[in-house]
Amino acid sequence: MTTTAPTDVVSPSAAAPEASPRGRLKGTLVGLGIAVATLLAGLAVPYVVTDTYRMSLLVEGTLLSLLAIGIGFLARHLGLISLGHGAFFGAAAYGVGIATTNWGWSPTTAVGFGVVVGTGFAVVMGLLVVRSSGFGFLMLTLALSQALYALSVQTSARPLTGAHDGKLLSYDRDMTFLGLAQRDVMNPGLFWPMAWIALTMCATVLWLVGRSRFGTTLEGIRENEERMRFSGYDTFGPRLVAFVLSGAVASLGGALFAINSGYVSPDILGFTRAGDSLIAALVGGFGLLVGPIVGTFLFVYAQANFNFGGNLHLFTGMALILVLVFMPGGITGSLQKLYHRLRRGRR
Amino acid sequence: MNAAQLLNGIALGSLLMVLSSGLAMIYGLRGVANFAHGALYMSGAYIAYSVSDRAGFWLALLVVPLALAVVGVLLELVFFRPLQHRSHIELGLITFGLALMAERLVVLIWGERTLRVTPPEFLQGTSNFLGVEYPSYRLAIIAIAVVLAAALVLWLRSTTTGLHIRAASQDIETAAIMGINVDRVSLVVVAVGSALAGFAGALAAPYIALDPGMGSAFLITVLIIVVVGGIGSIGGAMIAGMGLGVIQSVTTVWSPSVAVVVPYLALTIVLLWRPTGLAGKRVS
Amino acid sequence: MTIFEGRGLTVRYGAHVALDGVDIALEPGVVHGVIGPNGAGKSTFIDALSGRKRPSSGTVTFEGVDITRRSVRWRRRKGLSRSFQRTSVFGAMTVGDQLEMVARRNNEEDLGEIVRTLGLEGILDRVCAEIAYGTQRSVDLAIALIGRPKVVLLDEPCAGLVHDESVRMLQHVRDVCKERDVAALLVEHDVEGVFRTCDVITVLDLGKLLATGTPDDVRADENVIRAYLGSAA
Repeated sequence: MTTTAPTDVVSPSAAAPEASPRGRLKGTLVGLGIAVATLLAGLAVPYVVTDTYRMSLLVEGTLLSLLAIGIGFLARHLGLISLGHGAFFGAAAYGVGIATTNWGWSPTTAVGFGVVVGTGFAVVMGLLVVRSSGFGFLMLTLALSQALYALSVQTSARPLTGAHDGKLLSYDRDMTFLGLAQRDVMNPGLFWPMAWIALTMCATVLWLVGRSRFGTTLEGIRENEERMRFSGYDTFGPRLVAFVLSGAVASLGGALFAINSGYVSPDILGFTRAGDSLIAALVGGFGLLVGPIVGTFLFVYAQANFNFGGNLHLFTGMALILVLVFMPGGITGSLQKLYHRLRRGRR
Repeated sequence: MNAAQLLNGIALGSLLMVLSSGLAMIYGLRGVANFAHGALYMSGAYIAYSVSDRAGFWLALLVVPLALAVVGVLLELVFFRPLQHRSHIELGLITFGLALMAERLVVLIWGERTLRVTPPEFLQGTSNFLGVEYPSYRLAIIAIAVVLAAALVLWLRSTTTGLHIRAASQDIETAAIMGINVDRVSLVVVAVGSALAGFAGALAAPYIALDPGMGSAFLITVLIIVVVGGIGSIGGAMIAGMGLGVIQSVTTVWSPSVAVVVPYLALTIVLLWRPTGLAGKRVS
Repeated sequence: MTIFEGRGLTVRYGAHVALDGVDIALEPGVVHGVIGPNGAGKSTFIDALSGRKRPSSGTVTFEGVDITRRSVRWRRRKGLSRSFQRTSVFGAMTVGDQLEMVARRNNEEDLGEIVRTLGLEGILDRVCAEIAYGTQRSVDLAIALIGRPKVVLLDEPCAGLVHDESVRMLQHVRDVCKERDVAALLVEHDVEGVFRTCDVITVLDLGKLLATGTPDDVRADENVIRAYLGSAA
């Protein structure tokens, strides 16, 4: 069952070819310009959105977007769909909680530690799963991430994770996260710049990696792994590196999420959480880097507004099915298709 | 460890065996790991609750597989067949969406609280089995599941439909060229697979507590079993299911924390030692 | 002077013997054809030689060194390359991108020459999945030729091509082999084409070696006539 045909969900957008290296450099510079502009424009958001609740939703969307672009990166460049990235997000969050609360580390160091923990899990899981593809990959990432969940809610893990109660973060009043005390860190308006900078930076890095020679290698592996080996390329190493990179981005999201909310819920590693981000990314569309981000903000919006009676998953499940059946490529993919059609029509 | 604990393992293994053989059947034929399999199992348990409340448990054991077979037919006709030319991953994710929805639907219909089903009266006590006093109902689970598994194997081995199923699982395109009605075979397989999942749920209902998370909790275990047993291999899934049930129950006695990770450990070991699973089909 | 050699290659699938103790020796600048009826073991043979399928027994040597257990990646880096019967290209990438990608890995200095030889100049910025099938076969061949490999194993390069394309493809193979002094193995279904193109021909039947020799020798070989060409030629 080695279907090498690219799936519709992850089919790459047929980007306009940039034949000359010069065109490529120009494209990179334009992209970087857009990234800087987006970064700066985003910093103004707290001055426009004054409502604390709305602001907190934006922060949540931004942090969950880190998880989603990690998943999206793997899907776009390797055609691998992961249900396991919640593990890195969650492991990083617990890492932060344990380092601050149990060991009395400063929040800044703890966030660094959290990212290392999450990335470490990505290395271990990556070694086990990147040889597989398609369904094998999907099931293995799900199973291994659920192993972490099963461990985290064990009674014997209570001193570390708080088991089913979750973990409340506490650290000394005079300790700060990059200058913000605990009270300020939990204030979405004050925390926003950190979340936003993290997202734009990570998105830019992933974009640059995707455009690099390494990105081309990944594309080759996605398109035809066997021919890559017969062309002299190692295919295990690059896949592992890409997996770990995407895991590291998700870890950063988890670490910041923990520090911002001051609490790590056991659901963070759960089955539905794993699905949520994948669904958000899928609905947004894998074809473009911003697809998963769009999807995640939509998801956070839906969670805040349509979650009556706890029926959110009724709607997300439905949204997933509808998108897969009727608009593979997600929202951004459909917009892109529309755009190309309009442009072709004009010519 | 004593005989009762071993029997607990066999009872759990029996349920896993029935459940995973259904998943393996669908996977082998359609190439899709049905993420809604846990939801089918859960629905089976909940329907069994309602039916046995009104008309008794034995009727539930009959009604549930039939109801779930109908669900399976719908699954095949609405999703699997029309979308068979899409990538398998997409179909799998659709079943994932269905699982999410089913979990909420169960809450909407039956509520979030934990429910219990009483076993039929004559199975309520304990029986003496090989010198141990053991709950009669669990012995019944073992007996029923073993008979069912044997019947399934016999059906696949000795009937024409079984032959067609095995041929189509090997290579669905070739089977179609050879004149096997693949659509019909697939319909039968998905219906039977779903019925088996529902039956396992009904059978489990008096043994476990019913809650809306029971489906996804079992789904992971069953997915692991199917990978460990060798993807698409029904025999491999049965053996792996029974083995895992026994090992897990026995480990629980020794250390509950270790028992939780037994399936994941088994998965990791099998992946490292034999990436194709016990029955040897490739994980792809 | 032999550069690449297979000795006693045997491949078993369970009880079925797909390839039974076949020998072959390739020399630089010589096009060596392999023909045989369906089920003769041609594909298994090229898989065993190229490392895609590990032989149950027998050895593969390259420049006198036993490489039977080496990875395909290692082999490619040392100058052993192959193409595929079912077109194996990088569908969503442009032709130029994928050729450059492979060229980068294999230190190809003159990619332009390969592109010109195979007539791919005009389609470098086309997405590979969208070009004609015959052209995709040329891209497949180009990928195999990048990096000046010393040995090229070609698995039915003409499969699915119409007659004219097929003639041109074989001409390309012969030209490249002679110009670059490459040892080429050509597995083909098109018997007539093989006789026209190859310097040496090996005939397989039911996994066994039937005959090896010049086209004229093979044409005259009684075993070959009886088992294979009998009805056709």
